[in-house]
Amino acid sequence: MDFEFTSEQQLLQDSLRRYVDKAYSFEARTALLAADKNGSAENWGIFADNGWLMAALPEAYGGLGGSLVDTVIIAQELGRGLVLEPFLGCGVLAAQTLLGAASEAQKVRLLPQVADGSYRVALAYSEPGSRGMPEPVALQAERTGDGYRLAGRKSLVLGAPGADAFIVSAQIPKTPGVSLFLVEADCAGLECQTLPLHDGSWVQELQFDGVEVAADALLGEAGQGLPGLRQGLANGIVALCAELIGAMEKTLEVTADYLKVRQQFGVPIGSFQTLQHRLADMAAELELARSSLHVALASMANDEEATRYKTVSGSKMLICRAARFVCGQGIQLHGGIGMTEEYLVGHYYKRAVVADVLLGSSDGHEAACAAALQAELRA
Amino acid sequence: MDFRPDASLEVFRQEVRQFLRDQVPADLKGQQRCTRSPREQIMRWQKLLNERGWGAPYWPKEHGGTGWTVPQILVFDDECSLAGTPTQDGFVHKMLGPVLNAFATPDQKAEHLPAVFNGERLWCQGFSEPGAGSDLASLRTRAERDGDCYVVNGQKIWTSYAHHADWIFLLVRTDPQVKKQAGISFLLVDMRTPGITVRPIRSIDDAHHLNETFFDNVRVPVGNLIGSEGQGWSITKFLLNNEHATTADLPELKRYMRELRLIGTTLQVAGKPLFERPEFALKLARLEAELQAIEMLVQRVARLDEQQNPASHTLGSMLKIRATELQQRMTEAQIEALGDYGAIAYAHPHEADPQQPFPLQALARGISNDMFLRRASTIYGGTSEVQRGIIAKMLFQL
Repeated sequence: MDFEFTSEQQLLQDSLRRYVDKAYSFEARTALLAADKNGSAENWGIFADNGWLMAALPEAYGGLGGSLVDTVIIAQELGRGLVLEPFLGCGVLAAQTLLGAASEAQKVRLLPQVADGSYRVALAYSEPGSRGMPEPVALQAERTGDGYRLAGRKSLVLGAPGADAFIVSAQIPKTPGVSLFLVEADCAGLECQTLPLHDGSWVQELQFDGVEVAADALLGEAGQGLPGLRQGLANGIVALCAELIGAMEKTLEVTADYLKVRQQFGVPIGSFQTLQHRLADMAAELELARSSLHVALASMANDEEATRYKTVSGSKMLICRAARFVCGQGIQLHGGIGMTEEYLVGHYYKRAVVADVLLGSSDGHEAACAAALQAELRA
Repeated sequence: MDFRPDASLEVFRQEVRQFLRDQVPADLKGQQRCTRSPREQIMRWQKLLNERGWGAPYWPKEHGGTGWTVPQILVFDDECSLAGTPTQDGFVHKMLGPVLNAFATPDQKAEHLPAVFNGERLWCQGFSEPGAGSDLASLRTRAERDGDCYVVNGQKIWTSYAHHADWIFLLVRTDPQVKKQAGISFLLVDMRTPGITVRPIRSIDDAHHLNETFFDNVRVPVGNLIGSEGQGWSITKFLLNNEHATTADLPELKRYMRELRLIGTTLQVAGKPLFERPEFALKLARLEAELQAIEMLVQRVARLDEQQNPASHTLGSMLKIRATELQQRMTEAQIEALGDYGAIAYAHPHEADPQQPFPLQALARGISNDMFLRRASTIYGGTSEVQRGIIAKMLFQL
């Protein structure tokens, strides 16, 4: 095990930090929020040009052949700046699900376009009844003469506004298991409602009313989509956790600075032991969360499937709860100013609240961990 | 950054496992490890380790130690805990030993080090006093020079295992005139010296670990001074900052998790194993995720310790706060998992079996003792509140 960056990893982090410092000052971000949904096309071009969208894809499909560690380095820096471009939704969730679930021919055709940013795909898997978990899937894909007809609903689709296509999880009648389809965003019968999230980003709710797709829209084999979906989700969860580590880092830095300049009773409020100890607790929470991210990375690299997903669920629960605590206390230690929309720290808390809901809540993952433990103990 | 496992560490683990399997007699294995084993067992275990060339597992090679890396040390501790071996004398191996290696004269080393390796001399630590806890530098035990001796007068408290110890390392005030830190010296004292009285303090875990130790005109040869007069405080800081990764007591945390799982599979509630109850399984899930994070944090701190990176101090403080809180939560979870039997005061594992066995005692005995004892974890070695102050000061310059 090695906790230090290699020189390549350091270069990657440096390039991300330069981008975030330049493109995501608080003022620049506020302007982006007002101008467009989910960042700008210009910024997305920078993502593609710098290779951040292809970092963790294999070279055979137009990627750079990196690993989840590269994804984590990117996501963590994006989290420091509360970056709005849909790296998580399109660059990780959809790309890694395609990698895990598509046939060889589909990967060769689709992934290079995903890797260079020219084809934007979003992952539509969650439903009101599954709450961010890959199952159960209610959306139906009925076989027709030469394809499938999709009917149902997908909620909270990350990176959907502006996406060219969606990966849609579905149930084919009489075929056990989950099937995945690639559905073009502009096809008939698909209604996309764009909805704002608390953190200023946008998602879509998708309503499928008899959407007809051709047989080759099926990704991989019928009923065999779950392992690929879970693989994509696990990568996405780890990226989201890394993003929150970045958000917590920045919250701590901003809060520690504020405690040194804000004066009350004639002294900086950082001289009060109550506030010092709270900040120390926030720092300990962050570092334990960072270690939990390392646990997830180690498990993704080394463990078999059941253990991997249990560990990733454990990290999602621990890190999301840590982020709500750290970012919430960031507001608390700032006092009134922390409540204002014009001040940075409240926006980190908003992201933490949204992140807890995304990709399955803390409670949902706690239950998944518990179920996995029960299965271990039964064996 | 790379999280693939280290193959050489796995080879080392097998080597330790083989030693434990083939060369350690059965009566030195399979014991509940608690904080400290009985004196005779510590001595036998130390001899056995020394014969294997592992007499000082935490020390570098140039001082006769194994020269193991910190990850190797963690593996060694982990395997010993799994096998249930006795503990070593932590006071000398982790605290005094590094001080002797760094500050002692050749004569002092010749006097004390052989006894460390062959296990014939056990140590205790004389730091805290009734009026000097977190504010250790305000200690008042006096050592006044009289010819070639210091005459020591005063009282130490919380002297763990003083009743089993042959020698004590002691902080004393040699100069009351200077700034409080500057007047402190570091003395080694033979516990058989006339004028020393040890009185037991029974703690809430129903055991005798703690003592008050009184010094009444105790004559200590000046040759027993470590370093120079007034250097005691900087030696103490060296001693306390020597290593941070093992403050988590990780093998104990892992043992608590094994025991919780065992309770969960052994006990039945409403006709089903306890682990089928959602409230138990959810709690186990939370504890396991946190334990894994602590385990990884230990590795990070270990790496920083190895690089002598000063960041190990603050990260070590965070580890100490969170790991000791987890010790408390896990042992409390064990009590709760025992159901009605969580309230029973079983006899301490070091005491004789009761005439009529208590119900469930094979599973439950010792758990409450550990749980009550763990209240001390957030106090000793710098309270959690002191650690928070260190973090605020060193990490945030507050």
